[in-house]
Amino acid sequence: MTALRLDGVTLRYGDSDTAPALADVSLAIDAGRITWLFGSLGAGCSSLLLVSAGLAPRHTGGTCAGAVRALGADPHDAAGRQALAGKIGYVTPTPGVQLSGVAATVSEEVAFAPANLGWPIERIREAVPDALARLGIGHLSGRNPAALSGGELQRVVIAAMLVLAPGLWLLDEPASALDRAGRSTLAGVLRAEADRGAAVVIASEDAAAMAAVADRLIVLDQGRVALDGAPRDLLADDVLWRHAAGSTPIANLARSAAALCDVVPRSLAPPYPLTVDEGVARWS
Amino acid sequence: MTPARGLAQQAHPFTLFAITGAVALLAFILPPPGGPVALYAAVVVLALAAGVGRAAARALLVCLPLWILLFLLLAVFGTGPRSDLGVITVSRSGLDAALAQGARLGAVATASLALFASFDPSRFLDAVAARGWSFHAAYLLVATLQAAPRFRQRAAMILEAQRARGLRFGGNPVRRLRGLAPLTTPLVLGMLSEVDDRAMALETRGLDARVARTPLEPPADRIADRLIRRGLPLLVVAALAWRLFG
Repeated sequence: MTALRLDGVTLRYGDSDTAPALADVSLAIDAGRITWLFGSLGAGCSSLLLVSAGLAPRHTGGTCAGAVRALGADPHDAAGRQALAGKIGYVTPTPGVQLSGVAATVSEEVAFAPANLGWPIERIREAVPDALARLGIGHLSGRNPAALSGGELQRVVIAAMLVLAPGLWLLDEPASALDRAGRSTLAGVLRAEADRGAAVVIASEDAAAMAAVADRLIVLDQGRVALDGAPRDLLADDVLWRHAAGSTPIANLARSAAALCDVVPRSLAPPYPLTVDEGVARWS
Repeated sequence: MTPARGLAQQAHPFTLFAITGAVALLAFILPPPGGPVALYAAVVVLALAAGVGRAAARALLVCLPLWILLFLLLAVFGTGPRSDLGVITVSRSGLDAALAQGARLGAVATASLALFASFDPSRFLDAVAARGWSFHAAYLLVATLQAAPRFRQRAAMILEAQRARGLRFGGNPVRRLRGLAPLTTPLVLGMLSEVDDRAMALETRGLDARVARTPLEPPADRIADRLIRRGLPLLVVAALAWRLFG
């Protein structure tokens, strides 16, 4: 089932003379899968998330052409936004700005959106500890959000969306402040969300982490969809480097080593190994 | 903003606003100079009893330079019959006016700072939600009240960052003035940018939903709170009537 569809979407942050952040983008995102958006700086990954959430160009300025349907509604009109309230889990790359600023505790912070949506208090009291526990931050429930570390804050902001059980996740660099354990927990949570039937869309530069998590990779280049396919296939192929800054560290290493050779040995030819284990298996 | 402990924190948030509003009105309604002076004394006693004595002390520090100015302008340099205070002579009417203005200022400043010190945003928002009032307006009020500490925190961060980059704020006034630009520019631009980001982020958290917000832990509205909130408007009206017709 398609959870998100973009048809011929062109987004400009300035007037019609400026280069588009998104140029004639058409794609469909399925429910129950983790879709990874990847591209160099300015490729349009964040813009695609903002347009899908109905936040750009309304909050960012600029113009947008084309059609967006998220969970069957248009996030760019008022009625669609009301219908989608609480159904899209959008996570910004800077967790600090997504805090309500009025909650005295982490529990209150996570309860902010459900309370705004008028959930019954019993449902809120049940859902909040569950969301905190799933992200491994139950012990922070009584802490002041303003006094948390960057990684803790990022988990709180994700928990604040997880509590809503959204049908569509739009996450912009959700693991930028997380440690290895945090990234692993987040990956587990997002997989569980996809298994629940939610569509999960993640914009991330972390190829190594995403290679293990994503079901589908969409590579954006200058606002256009350049590549679309299985992450393993695209990350291990030379074609990726034409449109993105690189692949996983091991694949980057293999490709750099191959570039130093006059005659590329089979062990350094594509498909490149993506993980340390694959590299060891290939080169030992 | 750390909420103070004590009676002020236990009181219903609307009661605190009602007291502050009533103090501001009574300060100008009660007959000078005795009325404002008595009111100021009452407000200080109330602040001490409610556990927000630090707010009273802070108000004192804020008001002190203005009291000195009022005393000099109205009492020392004032005209009319004069009284001998031993070291200097002062205008009697000027002294009364200085006392009245200074006490008004003190009462309003103490009440406002006490409100600020005991204000708990989440309790206030829960109280608003419990009444079914506009959460948007209440959120705007709270965000405005919290803007000052956030502004100060961000300014301190930028100051440290600029110092780390070698900027020096010492020296003559011209040099100090020139040093302000690298501080204020990122501060103002950062705050403006944050307003946009925050508006966007809050929309994703259901702030625009057209449903009544669920109060998470609505504060208790005790009989004493209700009596105070109903009694204060009557007191203000009675004082006004007394001044006008008494």
